[in-house]
Amino acid sequence: MTPKEKERLIRRIWIVITYVVLLTFALVYLMPFIRSLVASFMTWAQASRYPPEWIPNPFTLENYQKLFRLELFPRWIRNTALYAGLIVAGNVMFTSMAGYAFARLKFPGRDVIFSALLSLLMIPMFVTLVPNYIIIYKLGLIDNIFGLALLGITNVSSIFLMRQYFMSLSNEIFEAARLDGCGPIKAFFYIALPLAKPALGAVAVYQFLGSWNAFIGPLIFLRSPENFTLPVGLSFAFQRAMWTEYTPIIAGSLVASAPTIILFLVLNKYLIRGIVVTGGKG
Amino acid sequence: MVRVLLKNVTKKFGNVIAVNKLNLEIKDGEFMVLLGPSGCGKSTTLRMIAGLETPTEGEIWIGEQLVNEIDPTKRNTAMVFQSYALYPHMTVFGNIEFPLKMARVPKQERIKKVKEVAEFLGISELLNRKPSELSGGQQQRVALARALVREPEVFLLDEPLSNLDAKIRTQMRFELKKLLSYELKITTIYVTHDQVEAMTMADRIAVMNRGVLQQVGTPDEIFYKPSNTFVATFVGSPPMNLIEGEILKKDNKVIFDAGEFSLELPEDVGIEGKAVLGFRPQHVQIAKEEKAGFVRGKILGIEKLGVESYGHVTYGNLEIVIQLPEEVGSNITEVYWKPKEDRIYIFDSKTKKLVYG
Repeated sequence: MTPKEKERLIRRIWIVITYVVLLTFALVYLMPFIRSLVASFMTWAQASRYPPEWIPNPFTLENYQKLFRLELFPRWIRNTALYAGLIVAGNVMFTSMAGYAFARLKFPGRDVIFSALLSLLMIPMFVTLVPNYIIIYKLGLIDNIFGLALLGITNVSSIFLMRQYFMSLSNEIFEAARLDGCGPIKAFFYIALPLAKPALGAVAVYQFLGSWNAFIGPLIFLRSPENFTLPVGLSFAFQRAMWTEYTPIIAGSLVASAPTIILFLVLNKYLIRGIVVTGGKG
Repeated sequence: MVRVLLKNVTKKFGNVIAVNKLNLEIKDGEFMVLLGPSGCGKSTTLRMIAGLETPTEGEIWIGEQLVNEIDPTKRNTAMVFQSYALYPHMTVFGNIEFPLKMARVPKQERIKKVKEVAEFLGISELLNRKPSELSGGQQQRVALARALVREPEVFLLDEPLSNLDAKIRTQMRFELKKLLSYELKITTIYVTHDQVEAMTMADRIAVMNRGVLQQVGTPDEIFYKPSNTFVATFVGSPPMNLIEGEILKKDNKVIFDAGEFSLELPEDVGIEGKAVLGFRPQHVQIAKEEKAGFVRGKILGIEKLGVESYGHVTYGNLEIVIQLPEEVGSNITEVYWKPKEDRIYIFDSKTKKLVYG
C-alpha cells in the first residue's frame, strides 16, 4: 500500500467511526420521540406493558380522537399561541433595546447593572417563584395569560445574546451613522436593528420554544381550565385521581410539538447563529 | 470652503496622552496629510475634528466657528473610514442616500443628488447592489460618494487606501488627489502611516509621533529639511542613515569621527563635539577602488529592487544602507563610499534636532 492509499484508508475509517458515533447519539436522543410516536398509536394497556413493545397492535387512532373530543383543546392551543406570541414579541422588543444600550451607549453604572443582570442567570427560577406569584397576585393578574406573560416578557439570556451581537458589529459603522446624522435612537432603528436580524431570529426562536413548551409557570399562575396552555391542559385532562392516562397525553404532546418542530426545521440556522453569537447555549 | 484650526489640542485617555498640545492650521482648500506610525495620535486628531472624540484641552475651529461643543452632524465635515463602514443592509443607493435622509432632504432631491454624485464617481451602475457584492475599490468609491453627497466643507479620510491591494491603491491615490484637490478644491485632512501616500498626495504634511507634532511642511521640506531624526528616518525609503560620532576640527578640516571610520565634512559645519550624522542611502557617491576621502565598507548583503539596489554595509554594530550603481553585480563584497557633501545632515546628539543641512 502506498502512503497515499494508507492515508486515504485511515481517513475513511475515521469517517466511518464518526458516523457510527453520531448515529448512536442521534438514536439515543431520538429514542423518546420515536417511542412517543409509536405509543401514540397504541392502547394504554399495550403502551404500559413490560418489556416495551414497538409495533402498535391493535393500531388505534383513539388517542388522537380523544384529544380532539376535548372541548377545550382548541382553546388551549389559542392560549399557548397567545402566550408564546406575547413572550416572543416582548423579548424581541425589549431585549434588543436593552442589548443595544448595554453594547453601544455609555452611561454611568452600565457595567455594574449588566453584571447584576447576568448574576440573575445563576438564580434558579424556583427562588423567585413565590415573590413573582405575590407580585402577580397583587396586580390581580393570577389566572390571566397576560399576567403570566408579564413575567417572561424580557429575559436575561436574550439581553445577553443581543448585547453580544451588537458588540460584534463594527464600531465604525455606528460612527459613520453618527456622522451621517443619526443620534443613538435613529442609529438603533436604522442601523442596529436591521443588522441584528440573525440575533433577533435566534431570540424569537428560543423564546417561542421555551414558552410553547412551558409547564411550571402556566401550571402555577393559571387556574381555570379555559385559561390553560396546552402542556398544562393535557396533563389536566388525562390525570385521574389514581392514575394518569398517558397515551392521549403523548398524542397531545406530539400535536403540540408540531409547530416547534416545523419552526426548528425552517429556522435552525438562526438557532445555530444564536449559539455561535453567545458561544454556548442560548 | 473653510480652514481648520487646532489650538493647543490635547487628548488624554486615562493616563495616556494620545495627542499633546497640538497646534495646526489646515488652510482653506488645502490637502493636509497627518503622517506617523500607529499610535502617534493622528487618527485621534482626525476623530476630534470629526467630533467622534472630545478634546481634553484646547480648541478646534472649523471656519469661524469653535466646534468643541458642536455635535458631529452639525460640523459639516464628512469622513471616510479605513473599513469604509458601509451599511451592509442597504444598497449602494441607500448608503449614499442615508445622510440626506437623516437631514430630511425631500425624496426627489435625494434621488437627484445621489444620481449626480454616483455619476461623478462612476458608480451609477452599482446603485442597486449591496456593499458585499462590490470590490474593495468600488466600496471605496461608495464610501466617498456617501461622504461627498452632503457637500461637506471639510473632508476627513482615515487611512482610506490601506485595505486596497497595491495596484488599485496607486490608482486611487491619484484619483483621490485629483478629485479632492483639483476638481472640488475641498479642505481635506488625510491620515496615513504610508509615507508614499503622504509624499504624493499632500500639499503639506504634518508628521506626528507619540502624540506630538514633529514637523509641518510641504513634501519637499519634509524630505529635504527634516527637523529631527524621527522625521528624517520616517520619511524616505530606505530610511536615512544615522551615525553617532564626534565632530572634530583638525588642520582647518572638519572631521566626523564615527569610531570605526571618519569622514571629512564641509568646512561650513560650525559645530563641534558629539553629534549625529545623517545622509540618505540615495545621496552617496560610490567608488570601486580606494579613493581619497572615501570609506571602505564590507558589503553584508544587497537588496535588488529592479533598477535600484541597496547595499548593507556594517561596522561593528552599525549598519548603513547605500544605493549602489545599477551596473554593480551582486557578487561584490567591498565598496568605497562617501556621502554627497551638499546632502548631509547633522543632528544634535541630545535633542535629535537638525542643526545643519
